[in-house]
Amino acid sequence: MKISDVIVIGGGLAGFMAAAAAADNGQKVSLLTYGSGSLPLASGAIDILNSKAPDEAIKLVLENHPYKKIGLKNIDAAAKFFVDVTNKSDLHYVGRLSAQIPIVTAVGTLKYSCLVPESMDATNLADKKKIFVVEIKGLKDFYAAMIADNLKKYFPEKIFETAKLDLNLLGGRDITCMDAAQILTGNEQILADGLKTLNATEDDAIIIPPILGLEGNSSRAAVKSQLRAQIFETTCLPPSPPGIRLQRAFIKFLQSAGVRIFENSKVVRGVVEGKKVTGVVVENSVREKIFRAKKFILATGGFYSGGIVMREFDNPIEPIFDLPVFYPSGAEKWSNKNLFSDKPQNFSMTGIFTDENLNPIDGDGKVLFENLHVVGANLGGVDKIFERSAGGISIASAYKGAIL
Amino acid sequence: MEKATVVVIGGGATGLGILRDLSMRGVKALLVEKNDLVNGASSRYHGLLHSGGRYAVKDQEAARECIIENQIMRKIGKSCVEPCGGMFTRLDIDDESYEELWVKGCADSGIEATPITLDEAFKLEPRLSRKHVKSAYLVPDAAVDGFRMSWQLVDSSKRYGGQVKTYTEVIGFDTVSGELRGVKVRDHFTGEEYEIGCDIAVNAAGGWAGFVGKIAGVEIGVQPDKGTLIAFNQRIVNHVVNRLHKSSDGDIFVPHGSITILGTSSMSVPDPEDTSTSREEVESLLKIGEQTFEDLRDFRILRTFAGSRPLYIPPGGAVGRSASRGFAIVDHERDGLKGFFTIVGGKFTTYRLMAEKMCNQICAKLGNKTPCRTAEEPLVEEVPQADKDRAKKFFPSYGVNLAATRLGVERFKKVVERLEAEPESRELVCECENVTRAEVEEICKDDTSFIVNDVRRRTRIGMGTCQGNFCALRAAAIFSDLGVEPSAKNSLERLKEFLQGRWKGIRPVLLGRTLRETEMTRAIYELSMNVTGGEPQ
Repeated sequence: MKISDVIVIGGGLAGFMAAAAAADNGQKVSLLTYGSGSLPLASGAIDILNSKAPDEAIKLVLENHPYKKIGLKNIDAAAKFFVDVTNKSDLHYVGRLSAQIPIVTAVGTLKYSCLVPESMDATNLADKKKIFVVEIKGLKDFYAAMIADNLKKYFPEKIFETAKLDLNLLGGRDITCMDAAQILTGNEQILADGLKTLNATEDDAIIIPPILGLEGNSSRAAVKSQLRAQIFETTCLPPSPPGIRLQRAFIKFLQSAGVRIFENSKVVRGVVEGKKVTGVVVENSVREKIFRAKKFILATGGFYSGGIVMREFDNPIEPIFDLPVFYPSGAEKWSNKNLFSDKPQNFSMTGIFTDENLNPIDGDGKVLFENLHVVGANLGGVDKIFERSAGGISIASAYKGAIL
Repeated sequence: MEKATVVVIGGGATGLGILRDLSMRGVKALLVEKNDLVNGASSRYHGLLHSGGRYAVKDQEAARECIIENQIMRKIGKSCVEPCGGMFTRLDIDDESYEELWVKGCADSGIEATPITLDEAFKLEPRLSRKHVKSAYLVPDAAVDGFRMSWQLVDSSKRYGGQVKTYTEVIGFDTVSGELRGVKVRDHFTGEEYEIGCDIAVNAAGGWAGFVGKIAGVEIGVQPDKGTLIAFNQRIVNHVVNRLHKSSDGDIFVPHGSITILGTSSMSVPDPEDTSTSREEVESLLKIGEQTFEDLRDFRILRTFAGSRPLYIPPGGAVGRSASRGFAIVDHERDGLKGFFTIVGGKFTTYRLMAEKMCNQICAKLGNKTPCRTAEEPLVEEVPQADKDRAKKFFPSYGVNLAATRLGVERFKKVVERLEAEPESRELVCECENVTRAEVEEICKDDTSFIVNDVRRRTRIGMGTCQGNFCALRAAAIFSDLGVEPSAKNSLERLKEFLQGRWKGIRPVLLGRTLRETEMTRAIYELSMNVTGGEPQ
C-alpha cells in the first residue's frame, strides 16, 4: 500500500485539526478514527484560557504547560486557521485570542470563550431591552424558567419573558436538541413561524436551545432572515448540535482537501525502529493491518477518549506506544474533596510531556520518537477543564504538530 | 399536643418494621427520623438476603433465623427480592477443612447447600477464576432492595394508620417519676421544637442508638462498625457469590438489576455519620475480589459507599443472648425509665423478626393480644397487570416493573394516567433508571419529599449508569419548579449539590472507566454549563 506523508490517529477536535492543517500544508494525510470522538459532547465554543486577555496570559504560563511548547505565534495561527476551516464549510465562527466572547449556557450562566459559533455569540445581549427565553414543547433539557432566573443575575435591569412554543415535535418519545435540529433541517419555517408569534422587536433578544440544524449555517440563515429580534443559541447537554456541526464542518473540509479517513480503525500498537515510528497496527474485526507513514500524529485524547488509561491506581498508561505518562501520585494529590472548586483537579493533569516539537519525552527530557507528535487532550501538565484551555490546546498543538 | 401510643425512633428497616407490626396490631404508632428514611445501614449495605450460609459455622442460631426470614421476605416482599440464588466458592488459598465444617453447618441449620461440579459453576458464573476456584455450592441467597422494601413498609404501615415524620430529631424525653410521657423533637427545616405524647418509645436508631440513649440518660453499648462497598456498573455475577471461608472482608458479590455490589470491609468508627471511604479500602476490596474474578478491574466502578453496622456490646456480657443472636432488646425499666425500649444489632434479613419480638414485648405491656401478622401479609398489593400494560406504551417492560414496585398501586395508577393524558410528562428525566417526569412530580408531592436527595432515593434518578451526568440538570430544573423548601429555587446550588453527592462516592474509585465518566461530568458542567458561573480572571 501507499505510504502517507502523515498519519493522524484520533477523530476528535485535535485529530481533525491536525489532519486539516497537514493537508492544507500539501501533505498526503490519512486519518484513523475509532468511535465518534468527543466533539458531539462539546459546546462548540473553543476556550483558549480563563483570562480577560488570553493572548497576554499565555505568555505567563509555566514551563510544563503545553502552550509553552506550542508558542503564542502558533496558537494565533491555529485560531485563524480554525476560523478559516469553519468558514469554508459554511459554519461561521467569530473571535480572536485577545478577548472573550460570552455565550449563554443551558443553565442560564454565561460562559466565555475566544472562538464561538456566530449563532451563540451573546455579546449583544447587553444592548437588548427584553430577553425572551423560549422552550419547545416536548424538547427535553431546556428549562426556560431556570435559564431566565439565572441569567437575570447578569442582567438585573432587563425584562425577561419565558415562552413555550408548540412545534408539534412530540412523537411519543423524548426529543433532544439533536433530534429537534434534525427535524427542523429543511423545516425551518415551523420554527420561524413559532418565533414570530412572540412579536419580538429589533431591540429584543430571543434565546433558544441549539436546534438550528446539524450542518453549517443554512438553518440559522433561514430563520434569522424572517425575524427582527436577534436569536441566540445556548449550549446543551450532549449530544450537542453545535459540536456536531463543528465535527461535520471538519469532515467536509478534510474530504475536499483529499484526506483519507479510515473509520472504525482502532490503533492497537506502534511499529518502531529506534527513535522512529514506521507504522501503526490497526485492528478491525477480522485482521490486523499496518499503516505506514513518514510522520505520525497522536491525537487519541485523554482519559475520556482512551488515549490514556489507568486500570490500577498510580499506573496510567498510553496504550499505543507505551509512552511515559506524567501523573500526580497518591490518593491525596489525585483529586479534590469538592468536584467543583477554585482549585484544579490534579488527576486531569495526567498526560504525556513533550519538547517544543511536541515529540514525547521521558523523565529526563530525552526525546523518544522524532517523527511522532503528541497533540490534544493527551498532553499532560495542566487541568485543561479548570483553566478553560481544552479547546485551545487541542487546536494549537494539532496545528503545530501538523506543520512542523 | 400530638399523641401516639408508641413513638418509634429511627427510620431504618428495624424501625419501619416495628411501625408496620404495631400498626397492623392496631396500636397507634408514629415514627420519627432525624434525616430521610433509610439513610443508615438499611440502604448502605450489600442488599443481600442471606440464606444463612454465611453464619452456618459461626452462629447457627443466626443462620436458622436467616433461612426462615429469607423465605418470608420472598413471600411478603416479592417485588423487592430478586431470587437470583447464591453460590459459595472455595478458592485454592482457602482452608479446605473449613468446607467440611460449613457443609455440616448448613445441614444442621436447615440450609440447602447443593454441591456442583466446577464445570457447572463456570457455566453458571462464566467469570469465576478458573485458576483459583476449587469447589462450589448453591444456596438460596437472594438480592433484596433495601430502599424499595423500606418504602413498601411505609406504605403498608400507613394503610393501618401508622405515621411517619422525617427530618424530625429527638432532642429529649418527657418523664414523670421515672415514667415516660412523651418525646421532645425538633423539625430540621423550621427549627420548631415540640412534644409528641406517648406511653412507650422504642429506640431503633441503629448506629445512632447510643446517642438516643444518652438523651434519655441510659447507657447503650452500641459500636458503629463501618463497612465499605463498591458498586460496579455491570452485572458481573448471576448469583450472589460468596467465598467459602471464614467470613472476612470483600468476599461477597451481589447482583442487583444491572449492577453488582462487592463488599465489605469492617472498621470500628466512633461516629455512625462517618460514611467516608478511601482509596486504601477500595484497593483492598479489589485485591480480594479479583481472587474470585480475575478480570474485575475491567469493569467500570459506579461508586463506592459505606454504612455502619450497629454492633451491640452488652454491658459486661450481662445481656447474654445478644452476643450470639446479633440483636438485643433492652427494657430500660431496669435503668429506672419505664416505657423506654432499645432494640439494637441485627441485620437487614432479620429485621422483621426483630420487629416481631420487639412488638410482642410492647404489646404485652399494653395488654394488646393481637398476634403478629407481618410474616403472612404481603407488604403491598400487586400492581394490576392492566395498569402495567397501559404503562408499556411509555416504558420498556423492564422499566414498567421497576416503576410499579417503586410507586405502588395508587401512585403508579396516577402516574400512568398522567402519562396518557400529558405527552410532556413522558419525558425521561433519568434514562438509566427509566424515571419519567410524571413520576418525579408525583414523588415530589409526597410528605417525605423535602430536598432533591429525598426524591433521588425514592425515584432512583442519578443512581444509575450516568451517575447524574444527564439528570442533574433536569432534577435541578424540575425541583426549582416543585420544591417545597425555599432553597430549591437556587437551581445552580442544587445542581452542584447533587453532583457533589455523587462525587463523594466516585472520588475514592477514580480509576479505569470511572475517570472517563468524571471527565465527561466536568466537560458538561464546567465547560458547557459553566456551573461555577465564573468570569474570566
